[in-house]
Amino acid sequence: MASSNERTLLDRCKEEYRVYIVAFLIVIIAELIGTHKFKIGPGMMVIFPMFYGLIFGTLLGPKLLGFFKMEEVKAASPLVLVAITPFMAKLGILGGANLSKLVAVGPALVLQELGNLGTIFFALPVAIMLGLKREAVGATHSICRETNLGLITHVYGPDSEEMRGALSIYVIGYIIGTIYIGFLASLVASTQLFHPFALAMASGVGSGSMMAAASGVLANIYPQFSNDILMLAGASDMLSGLDGIYVGLFLALPIANKLYDWLEPKISPKKSLKVGVEK
Amino acid sequence: MKYRDWIFLLTITSLITILSNLIGYKTPISESIPGVLILAGIALAGVILGKVIPLKLPMILYVSMLGLLLASPVSPVSKAVIEYTSKISFMAPVTVVGAFAGISMGKDFQTFKEQSWRMLIVGILVFTGTFVLSAIVAQVVLSLTGAI
Repeated sequence: MASSNERTLLDRCKEEYRVYIVAFLIVIIAELIGTHKFKIGPGMMVIFPMFYGLIFGTLLGPKLLGFFKMEEVKAASPLVLVAITPFMAKLGILGGANLSKLVAVGPALVLQELGNLGTIFFALPVAIMLGLKREAVGATHSICRETNLGLITHVYGPDSEEMRGALSIYVIGYIIGTIYIGFLASLVASTQLFHPFALAMASGVGSGSMMAAASGVLANIYPQFSNDILMLAGASDMLSGLDGIYVGLFLALPIANKLYDWLEPKISPKKSLKVGVEK
Repeated sequence: MKYRDWIFLLTITSLITILSNLIGYKTPISESIPGVLILAGIALAGVILGKVIPLKLPMILYVSMLGLLLASPVSPVSKAVIEYTSKISFMAPVTVVGAFAGISMGKDFQTFKEQSWRMLIVGILVFTGTFVLSAIVAQVVLSLTGAI
């Protein structure tokens, strides 16, 4: 293998060609299967070809079917980064094409970003009760997508407990996040408490695939608003990408740390066990 | 990654996107080409901006902003950009991401198995909290500003 400095495109092809070919085949099969909708309880789950792609790709991995070698699997990570980039361009274009609508809903769009901080109050106490330590801060400060991982790496270091927590949620987000958030979107929609626009904005959590899953489901539930939903979700997702670092650094992490310092001595299982014994 | 790698991998991605758009969304290849070229071009320009501009911002931000600017009313090419890229189905590039992400998941599979059920519970709460709280704030602000 050539040294990483002098790695030519030919080297790249030699190492990764099976990944490209299989990705082609996976996309063909996934698109032939197509989009399917299932009714689950009050909600509807929409499975996009992307999910089949995820599943087939994972199955071929070294630990399961063993078709791919570990090096090939590792090489696929930067490919994810590249492949999502044109999609982000498409979202930007959707935003630009609908700029006047964006301005009209501006304040809500910006303020709902603060709703992303809700994850801390929902998840951090439970994480502490489950016995997680500093991992809990990394795991619950945000939805833990690429931007947030970058932030955590910078603030706490790549080998920190906080990073381990954030990485765990990142991985879980990859595996079940898209499916779960699509289901959640339809479930919340079925309560009839929210306007489709509010749900569309909530879909922009800062993960392109989760946003696509949630807004795709919503566009199916409210076909008359489908364009607005996709536009708002894309814009909200873009905003999450734009402000993710600042919200994370100046709001989410300080809040998560304060809450952790306050709650950890009170509700961490070991401590509460001792209190129980003393009684 | 060098620009060379970006161009090469964007080409591969674009080819698969054309395929996805053909099979999944019945768009003829010739109609997809201008759209994927524009999307890949914006992507590349965003990457370059990300490397040139000395701010610690994710390059995906530049990509998104460029797309927004090019398609906004101030852009002289907005009509062409919007029309050509509208041929690329919203979900077609995402299918490609799914395929690569799935393959890449292979390396994290062991980690995930070793991760306890705790992280699964925390993950579900993280996703729920983010979505539901955002929806509540958006609903309140939209109502207060009379947008809905």
